[in-house]
Amino acid sequence: MSTKARRITWMHIVSFAFATAVSYVLGVLSSLIFPVLGAPGVSALYVAAAVYVPLGIWMGMWGALAGYFSCFFLGLYPSGYSLVQSAVWAFADFIEALIPAAAYRLLRVDPDFTLRRPKYAKLLPIFVVGGTVLLLLGIVVQVLWGATLGEPFTTFYVYAVYIGTALAAIGIIMGMLAGDPKTWGLYVVAGIILPAVLSGIWGSATLTIANFPPPLPAELFVPVLIGWIAGDLIVLAVIATAMLVALTPVVKRTAIYVERWFA
Amino acid sequence: MQLTPSIFREFIGLEVRRTSYQDLHVLTKLLISFSLSLSILFVRDLPSALALLALSAALCKIAGIPLGAIRKYLVVLASVTSFIAIAFVLFASIPGRVTYFEHTLFRLEAEKGVLEWKILVSDRSLEYTAVFVTRIFSMILSAILLLGSVSDRELVWGLRAAKAPYGLCLAVALFFKGFQAFVSDFFTVRDAMQARGVDFDKMSLLEKFRIYVNALIPLFALLISRSYEISLALEARGISPGSRVSSSYYESRPRGRDYIAIVGAILVVALFYYYSALVAGWIS
Repeated sequence: MSTKARRITWMHIVSFAFATAVSYVLGVLSSLIFPVLGAPGVSALYVAAAVYVPLGIWMGMWGALAGYFSCFFLGLYPSGYSLVQSAVWAFADFIEALIPAAAYRLLRVDPDFTLRRPKYAKLLPIFVVGGTVLLLLGIVVQVLWGATLGEPFTTFYVYAVYIGTALAAIGIIMGMLAGDPKTWGLYVVAGIILPAVLSGIWGSATLTIANFPPPLPAELFVPVLIGWIAGDLIVLAVIATAMLVALTPVVKRTAIYVERWFA
Repeated sequence: MQLTPSIFREFIGLEVRRTSYQDLHVLTKLLISFSLSLSILFVRDLPSALALLALSAALCKIAGIPLGAIRKYLVVLASVTSFIAIAFVLFASIPGRVTYFEHTLFRLEAEKGVLEWKILVSDRSLEYTAVFVTRIFSMILSAILLLGSVSDRELVWGLRAAKAPYGLCLAVALFFKGFQAFVSDFFTVRDAMQARGVDFDKMSLLEKFRIYVNALIPLFALLISRSYEISLALEARGISPGSRVSSSYYESRPRGRDYIAIVGAILVVALFYYYSALVAGWIS
């Protein structure tokens, strides 16, 4: 990576503003067409993530800010959350784009999404989504019931965790076989699994457990969490991957590409 | 200050009547919505939830926002309300003084106890549901008040008046203009698809979704080229993102009624806090 000092240009600001608008429109459409019922603004297929997560990889903090502001406005309208609730909740999408942005910059990996074996990239979503959802279900069952009630929940937990981890690991290996191993391995972990899980935890917790005050009852935490994570995993594994493969070479040739955090 | 179309008008075409509320300074209007948001924090029982709902509705009325327009969203509101009620009934077992309905859906003998999933409707679970639903309606009304009384131009003028850098003012302005640009680009891409033989009328929902998702790639490419054109235009005019312009065509300063409204907004938060502290027994 170049160490030459770069400055924020109009290109960064203008594309950030447009990307925020696009993410907002897609967020509204997703939450209306594929809602997680009972949780306004939450979608079981949040297509907007396919815009601001790749943007986080290409544009660093601008992508994270696009995620934050689009989610903030989505919280205000049409979800109807208050200013304060939206401001806290919107960090979910900020985190989602910040994780891949930080991963590629801190580990100094130059994103090269050129596909060498496309069939592995096509199989990747099935393994990554299936494995992570199974892992998540196992943990939820263990926390809710296994820890206090024991069998048969602990057996389900053990099988779900082993099978889920194995499937997710196969997904990561498939990603590494699809193209440049560093780019793809990092993308599956820090661009699909971690963003979906961490933003799901923050988003559903600030909707149901901790906010000023949480707009929804605490009992909705688990359904919202599972809907959120599953939806984001599918979108990131399928749509965001396609965006990254198709547009990374184009974006890297333009002035919107950010090597550091802001410039 | 002249009345400019509110953000709601830009989003959904909701016409807002001109009232003296609309003439308040943009910061005052933001502060009023913020005070309602803060008051929600102190709503813990039905009387305070109903009071906040009435206050939010009254402010919308004073601001000239036609609440009848919400009728279009009644289905969405009803589904949210019913799912919150279902969440309380299915997932939370809140016993009360009176039990109206109780039924065990699922029972499993586990190693260290019994897992029971039961439906329980009690007076307390109904009261909790009513508080949550009322609070959601208050939240919706406070968001409507904000978006129905503030316009994108007012926000930009407010930022200019506060001597914010050009970069920030332009980002806010472009965010609002970005919706129209995106929709227009989307129709361009859709027309191009139709010209190549894609028939949207004969497609299943899933196929339509797949096609629309594919359209994201050209849409993003259009976004980059549009950003490039605007950036070049700005640079050609010699404006840098950090430029600060001392003069402004639109001048707006807080007036007497703004100060009265600000005091009122602070009093509302204080009142809700006082009531919540009184109910919680923090003060006597």
